[in-house]
Amino acid sequence: MAEVELRAVTKNFGKVAVCRGIDLQVADGEFVTLLGPSGCGKTTTLNLVAGLEDASAGDILIGGRRVNDFTPFERDVAMVFQNYALYPHMTVAENIGFTLRLRGIGRAGRRQRVAEVAESLELSGVLDRLPAQLSGGQQQRVALGRAIIREPQVFLFDEPFSNLDAGLRIKMRAEVKELHQRLRVTSIFVTHDQEEALSLSDRIAVMREGAIEQYGTPAEVYARPASKYVARFIGSPPLEFLPGRVEGEGGLPVFRVGAAAFPLPLRTAERLVQGAQTFALGVRPEHVVLSPAGIRATVRLAQPVGPATFVTLAWEGGELVARVPGMASFAAGSAVHFQVDREEHLMFFDDHQGRRLATE
Amino acid sequence: MAGRRVGRLVGPSIVVVGLALFVVITIGPLAWLVISSFMEQQALTTRPPDFSAASFTLANYTGVFAAAAQLGQGFANSFLVALFTTAVAIAVGAPAAYALARLELPGADAILLMILGTQMLPGIVIAIPLFIVMSHLGLVDTRSALIIVYLSFNLPIVIWILRGFFLAIPRGIERAAAVDGATTAQIFRLIVLPISLAPLFATGVFAFIESWNEFFFALILTRQSARTAPLVISQFAGQYQTVFGQMMAAAALAIAPVVALAVLFRNMIMKGFAEGMVKG
Amino acid sequence: MGTLEQRRRRAGYAALAPALLILVLILAYPIVDSMLLSLQDLRAAGGTFEGRFIGLSNYGALLEDRTFGAALSATAYFTAIEVVVVVLLALGVALLLVHPFGRFGIFRIVLLLPWAIAPVANAVLWKWILHANYGILNVLLLEVGLIDRNVVWLGTARMALHTVLAVDIWKSVPFIAILLLAGLSKVPPVLYRAARLDGANAWEQFLHITLPQLRPTIAVAVILQTLWSLRIFDLIFVLTKGGPADGTVFLNFLAYRTTFNFLDLGYGAAIANVVFAVSFVLALGYIWLLQPGLQRAGS
Repeated sequence: MAEVELRAVTKNFGKVAVCRGIDLQVADGEFVTLLGPSGCGKTTTLNLVAGLEDASAGDILIGGRRVNDFTPFERDVAMVFQNYALYPHMTVAENIGFTLRLRGIGRAGRRQRVAEVAESLELSGVLDRLPAQLSGGQQQRVALGRAIIREPQVFLFDEPFSNLDAGLRIKMRAEVKELHQRLRVTSIFVTHDQEEALSLSDRIAVMREGAIEQYGTPAEVYARPASKYVARFIGSPPLEFLPGRVEGEGGLPVFRVGAAAFPLPLRTAERLVQGAQTFALGVRPEHVVLSPAGIRATVRLAQPVGPATFVTLAWEGGELVARVPGMASFAAGSAVHFQVDREEHLMFFDDHQGRRLATE
Repeated sequence: MAGRRVGRLVGPSIVVVGLALFVVITIGPLAWLVISSFMEQQALTTRPPDFSAASFTLANYTGVFAAAAQLGQGFANSFLVALFTTAVAIAVGAPAAYALARLELPGADAILLMILGTQMLPGIVIAIPLFIVMSHLGLVDTRSALIIVYLSFNLPIVIWILRGFFLAIPRGIERAAAVDGATTAQIFRLIVLPISLAPLFATGVFAFIESWNEFFFALILTRQSARTAPLVISQFAGQYQTVFGQMMAAAALAIAPVVALAVLFRNMIMKGFAEGMVKG
Repeated sequence: MGTLEQRRRRAGYAALAPALLILVLILAYPIVDSMLLSLQDLRAAGGTFEGRFIGLSNYGALLEDRTFGAALSATAYFTAIEVVVVVLLALGVALLLVHPFGRFGIFRIVLLLPWAIAPVANAVLWKWILHANYGILNVLLLEVGLIDRNVVWLGTARMALHTVLAVDIWKSVPFIAILLLAGLSKVPPVLYRAARLDGANAWEQFLHITLPQLRPTIAVAVILQTLWSLRIFDLIFVLTKGGPADGTVFLNFLAYRTTFNFLDLGYGAAIANVVFAVSFVLALGYIWLLQPGLQRAGS
């Protein structure tokens, strides 16, 4: 069994705490992503799991065994690096077979295993080439091959696609996902690309300044973000928050933002009004629809992106982005009406700590 | 880019004149060294010198080995000392440079500064104590003494230059090797060294040149048997009766190998040394 | 056995140890010993060394030693002029080589040559060039009419000093030019573009962009050249042996002569330590200048 567990793991560089008390459990065969902006500690966390750096405090367990004092090789992990990190003076075959050579496996044995791995990654034709002679996608696959041949307990990925151009990135994403479905090896993946995290992972750990802000399935972090930070980080374009207050209107509770009033279901209103706090409202663009029965606003900006158009709507007191299907055109300044399609899609956050107020 | 700006600072004719002057002044003396080494004493001692075809000869080169006592031995000594010094400097210096570049040693910065500082020492300061030590050890006038002493200024340079090159190797490659199961020594031997062959070689050439050209310590520490080429040449030039052509031939022979090496490896030398001193 | 970090650190100490050991033995020990020697009256006679402790007397004697005083001022004069002239000329050469006309590799090869040749060979060459009767310099100058009879370049103390100065400048300019070239190539071209857009002409660009950006490199060049000027030896030994009339006795040469010709090791060590002290202070300045670069390189 290759579960990975981090208990209160901390890493200090001098006086700076890069990782602060991280708790994480990855189940056997699970694909987990550490997601966050640069500097949030995700790469350091990965390096701690790998054993490339020593933890200042806490326990790291792989397969139930405490591995803090073991080298990466002893931990039986394999890693795919940013910039692939292929050995430039060795051929593809030598790159992939290096780990076997270090273990003392003879040339014949290596050739066999390398050929198998190369075949599974469609690299059989380039085994004698040097990394400099390969395309970006091929180099990435050699990096994968180098990790696969280890047959490790855990795969670790350190932003492997961030240097690829958009088309190649999406293609490699699919390959990694397919690889995981095939091999079912416990994997920890680091990225700052939220779309990548959503598409690849069984669970996502959204990190912020050295700690995990939320750890859940893609659906959870998307639809039920734990805080403003998570809500903003996940989803594209980034969510905007509207400050407002709970008021009564005609006997029913509403959330007033400037001239707009969003109807609130009773139970939501009850939860919100506990304590004198200000709130912020967030709604994802795909849940904002243009409908004649809605709140009046003017179009400030319309950005068509192909399958949809993102329309920025402005009214006194706030701005929201609506996602309109297809390539639509709107004249700036034209008047429209909008509303939120379902009450469940209203997300409320307290302004104090930014935590989302659960309304289920 | 700076060039275009300079171009408008002064007219092109001035640049051409400047470049021409530069070349003539720099190459002129060296050209004369070579030319006069092929000329007979007669031709050189008439005023003006006789440049007719009859004046040119190879006699200086053949004669200098007889005239300059132990010139051949001097070259042999120079070669051996330079070779061994370079070999040891690289063998000891490369791992040290790697340790300082990559192995995250506390106090590495301080050690580095000290190593840099050693470059600033005038040789005379250590020459006197070393002379006394070598005398006690009976090592005066031996090649070994020279090799040991030459290490004192070659080793720091080698460490400094190689450290600069090792720093440029992407960390990811070494990490990948560690994950693949390589020990630190294996990473150094199987990954770092193979991709550093050019800088290693160029640094070796640099150390070789510095050793070959060295005079001061050779003067102090050698007498008869371990004399190096620069020493023989200076003694030869100090004699009362000099055949000028022979003097030049000796000098030409001494500088030829070094010039050849310097030209061959000029890119590496200029890059590594000059930029290593200009950091940032 | 330990974690990766621990093992790497251990390997690092092992890798560094031999080099440090050698350096301590060959450098640190002699430096300390040199201090001790200078506190003794130590002479070499008939193959043995006889010495007794006399405290700072050697240094006291230095203060009253006319020869030492002369050597000190000669060295200061020589060094100051050489540094200024070398850096200025080298800057000019570097600027020439950065010009489109100077792009060719051949010029850079020319630059390397004076550095590559052994200082002794260089000295022997110039001994020949400067020969009063047959040296090519006098021949050329006579032909051209700049002089009307042979100049004995090393004839008087003053002339010898300046001749040696000129020769050493010839040898030193190319390497400093290489240094400055490296510094010039580091100036971001975008700065020139921005200045041009702001309306600066070529001279203003040179003054306000090139020179300021080049300042650290120039500082390094100045310190390096100073240190090398202080060490001048081969040229003196071959050309003048300190003469005429001790006119070209510089500090470094004086230390050598005192120790190995007059066999007064204690006194010679004292002189050597003075040279060392001056170099040390300069070296500190050099290291202080390089500090930011070191930290950046270490990350």
